[in-house]
Amino acid sequence: MDAVLSVSDFLKLANEVLRLNIQGSAFAIEGEVSGFKIVNGRWPSFTLKDEQHDEFQLACFAFHEIGVVEDGMRVRIWGAATVSKWSKFQLTVERVEPVGEGAFKRAYEALKKKLELEGLFDVARKRALPRFPKRIGLITSGDAAAYGDFLRILNNRWGGVVVEHANVHVQGKEAVDEILAAFQALNAPTRNVRPDVTGQCDVIVLTRGGGSLEDLHAFNDEHVARAVYASVIPVVCGVGHERDESLCDYVADVRASTPSNAAERVVPNREDVLFELQMTSRMMEERLLGCVNEKKTVLENLARVMTHQVHRQKIHLEAITQALKDQTARWIATLKTRIESSTRLLTNLDPTRILSRGYAIASANGQVVKDVSTLELGSDLTVQFAKGSVETTVKCKR
Amino acid sequence: MPKKEFNFGKAFEELETIMAWFEKEEVDLDEGLKKFERGLELAAACKATLTEVENKVEKIKTKFL
Repeated sequence: MDAVLSVSDFLKLANEVLRLNIQGSAFAIEGEVSGFKIVNGRWPSFTLKDEQHDEFQLACFAFHEIGVVEDGMRVRIWGAATVSKWSKFQLTVERVEPVGEGAFKRAYEALKKKLELEGLFDVARKRALPRFPKRIGLITSGDAAAYGDFLRILNNRWGGVVVEHANVHVQGKEAVDEILAAFQALNAPTRNVRPDVTGQCDVIVLTRGGGSLEDLHAFNDEHVARAVYASVIPVVCGVGHERDESLCDYVADVRASTPSNAAERVVPNREDVLFELQMTSRMMEERLLGCVNEKKTVLENLARVMTHQVHRQKIHLEAITQALKDQTARWIATLKTRIESSTRLLTNLDPTRILSRGYAIASANGQVVKDVSTLELGSDLTVQFAKGSVETTVKCKR
Repeated sequence: MPKKEFNFGKAFEELETIMAWFEKEEVDLDEGLKKFERGLELAAACKATLTEVENKVEKIKTKFL
């Protein structure tokens, strides 16, 4: 007897056959999107049309977000062929990638607008980089020129830095997952690091060379952009040539124009720092010398003022001394003249000088006789001459 | 025993604080001399670090999803 299956078991069997025979990850299906909608506000659903033969159409359904997809967009889809419970044959979408510059550009612009509205590009949230990083997390491909450029410029400018390199694909289908894993590893709070290494990186550099919008898809991927946004460590993003831009550039704390420029942004130039150090030493020396000179000038001025004062006092003293001397000399001369005239006067008044000219002084009872009437006849009289004296008696009066 | 690692960033920061002090209007001579000595010491240590030219690259392992 033939085996009997329930409808659900039959559909399970059909899905199993499809799973085993059509390996979704082995190829991508390319076509044009039409009738894109979000079912129940959660599940993206659309039809993929064959570009050459419009009548061939594939129903597509996804159980997760698949990025920005719009009608008319050319895309490549990876997924698994399944039959739904309503027996609808469809592709359960894993991943969608736009194809061609036009489609990429549209997806890029739409996502850029969305992230901008969410505030992922806000200037206010951008963090300053440490001036002298010790550890730098580098997310890029070890085979690419960007890797060599970054390390070359880093070595030219600065030394003593540890670069933790997460070797990732920067394009192709592995790129997004590898970059996301690198961000996760570098941001892990409990990192499995060597005992002599402590702490996390000071900065993360996400970089690659230039390329088409298609090449840069990983740097324009929504998940990568959100990983840059969520990184607890500041992120520098440097993509390609100066004209290239990516969504990661807008989200990153610092946008570098090229991988070389990224190195320039994360470390200072040792020549500049050396110059600054020399200027610092010179400036301190000059300030200190200036201070010493200032004090010296004050002291010199003080000394000059004091010397001047002493000099003035000395001159003043000398003048007084001279005046005193002059005054004394004049006073002595006057005194001498007066003494001389007094002496002369006294000499003239000396009675003995008159006696020597023949005059005599008569005196009675010790009194000089000036009037004869005071004398009586017979009274004693003393007569003094210039030399010697006599005692006599009054004989007559006239 | 590993020698204590010189922290360039901290030393440079201290040097800048000293510079800021010197840029004030009034500089006290005694204090200035002390700071000057410390500043020269820091500048010399920083200069010595600048002669270091090697950067080291370590490959890190990430768990890819």
